[in-house]
Amino acid sequence: MKMAMLRGSLRIRLLAGTLFWIAASILVAGWGLSNLFHQHVASQFHAELTTHLDRLTAQLTLDAQGRPQLALALSDPRLSRPYSGYYWQIDLIDASADSASAVGQLRSRSLWDHVLAVPSDTPADGEVHQHRVAGPEGRMLGMVERSVGIDDAADGKEHTFRLIAAADERFMSEPIARFSGTLWLALGVLATGLILAALVQVWIGLAPLRRVRIALGKVREGETQQLEGTFPAEIMPLIEEFNTVLAQNADVVARARTHAGNLAHALKTPLSVLANAAASQGEGSAELARLVGDQVGIARRQVDYHLARARAAATSRTPGARTVLQPVIDGLARAMRHIHAERNIALAIEPFSESLSFRGETQDLQEMLGNLIDNACKWAGSRVELHAHSHGSLLTITIDDDGSGLSVVQRETVIGRGVRADEQVAGSGLGLSIVDDLAHLYGGQLELADSPLGGLRAILTLPVVEP
Amino acid sequence: MRILIVEDEPTLSAQLAAAITAADYAVDVASNGLDGHFMGDTEPYDAVILDLGLPQMDGITVLRKWRATDRRMPVLILTARDGWHEKVAGIDAGADDYLTKPFHMEELLARLRALIRRAGGHASAELVCGLLTLDTRNSRATVAGQVLTLTSHEYRVLAYLMHHRDEVVSRSALVEHIYAQDFDRDSNTVEVFIARLRKKLPAGLIDTVRGLGYRLSSPK
Repeated sequence: MKMAMLRGSLRIRLLAGTLFWIAASILVAGWGLSNLFHQHVASQFHAELTTHLDRLTAQLTLDAQGRPQLALALSDPRLSRPYSGYYWQIDLIDASADSASAVGQLRSRSLWDHVLAVPSDTPADGEVHQHRVAGPEGRMLGMVERSVGIDDAADGKEHTFRLIAAADERFMSEPIARFSGTLWLALGVLATGLILAALVQVWIGLAPLRRVRIALGKVREGETQQLEGTFPAEIMPLIEEFNTVLAQNADVVARARTHAGNLAHALKTPLSVLANAAASQGEGSAELARLVGDQVGIARRQVDYHLARARAAATSRTPGARTVLQPVIDGLARAMRHIHAERNIALAIEPFSESLSFRGETQDLQEMLGNLIDNACKWAGSRVELHAHSHGSLLTITIDDDGSGLSVVQRETVIGRGVRADEQVAGSGLGLSIVDDLAHLYGGQLELADSPLGGLRAILTLPVVEP
Repeated sequence: MRILIVEDEPTLSAQLAAAITAADYAVDVASNGLDGHFMGDTEPYDAVILDLGLPQMDGITVLRKWRATDRRMPVLILTARDGWHEKVAGIDAGADDYLTKPFHMEELLARLRALIRRAGGHASAELVCGLLTLDTRNSRATVAGQVLTLTSHEYRVLAYLMHHRDEVVSRSALVEHIYAQDFDRDSNTVEVFIARLRKKLPAGLIDTVRGLGYRLSSPK
């Protein structure tokens, strides 16, 4: 699961790496710094104790009875204040001495009536030993000790003393704790900052990928044909490769469509030949003639259907394509007047704004309007009317005829929604279903209704180019 | 009535020629754009059936060149290309009608008749001159309801004269419009056809305009 997430997300991958290094470096830095500080404070602590011990050593003399005494009291006031935390003690450690009276023979005033119980090791002359001992009020003390021998005593014997300087360990542990607190707080702030920075970096770093996704979405929607925009140098080769693939793909598709179109057109001439040959057969082969005629009809509908679909699918829907309505309608009207010359249809085009434009390809508009007007002219009694107007972002073109119209059921059938090509009723034609398909490709629609002229009204809604 | 077929597919071309000949038209056939253009440019046709996808010169170019040199005969485009932009381009290049393949021969013939009729300024499929009526839909001539029995050539002469009613038609024009190009033409045969027609038609319908030709008009 975790590995899958790592593989699955660049963001998690980048963040996991960064977070690991941030955590590791913060921990190592914290541990290292607090250790260094601990060592530093401990060495200072012991250095201070050693200073006290040195002073004690310097001031140690024996009185007339051979008892130890200080020539001059140590000046540090903390040594005089009871239980101040700073102590010294002098033990007599002669082998001959009575141990009860020897330990703590001379003590700092701060020790009050407490006697430090020191482990019974005897440092060699000049050596300084460090120990931890229990002090007054149950506190742990850090201490240093040293043995000093004095041989100029009044009794002429050499006496050995143990000199002890001690201090409450909290003088060492408290600064360490304070420092550690501050240190970890600072490191915590640093880590938070780094993590936020990493998040921002990943977000900014991956932003071009989001833009790639948006650009790809536009390609899918047909808004653009290539990935557009400037991308970082690292992504640009990918974009260029992808655009090459898109261009090749478009090229292959275009060629395939051209081939499909050529194939369909190429089939039409032999179909004509077959149909004519069948129709011109004599009485003897009427059955064969009828069979060939029917099959040619089916083949013709199939060819028409797939050709029209290929044409509709080939619509490039280039962004920014626009087609001014007037010339297209004028051209179609010229063609209709020739093609339907025999029917004496009055094709009336209501004047509309010359700048009225369709947001799409000219050929698609010609295909849609051509089929609609042609259909109207075929079924009209004597009159076909065309109105065009825009409303908001929509262009509405209404084509009325005064023919016999269509029932609601027939309307659905001629539009052919959900009807497969081979299920289409002969003679129903493909025109309107192609118009419907094309209109949908543009986000528009075709509706059929009753016309005030008495026949069918076709309402084509398409995106308009807003002025 | 003389028709030019410009179509490169030989079987379809032969079928068209057969069907149009059977409808009592004289037919010439060209199988490529260059020949088609040349024939249309030099011979007086009453209508042309023009394919668009032709070798050597495409149909639209052929049509444009004819129209540029003021060749005004009606042209029916017969093509597999059925996109509306192609139809509009065809009509705008000067075509008079557009029929897409595959097609029904009856429809092609109907459109052809209509083209010829409209080119002569006639609105109806029945041409009338006095008691004489010519129904172009079934190539039948009647006088006061009595059907005339006419040979193919007699019908062509009569149909041409009916289409050009009240006009003086020269003998050579008649020859050009009733015979196909490869036919052994003899303008004297026209006189024979006219003489036979005069016997079958009410008197005074066909006048001889001395030195110019013939005129068909309803007697005053």
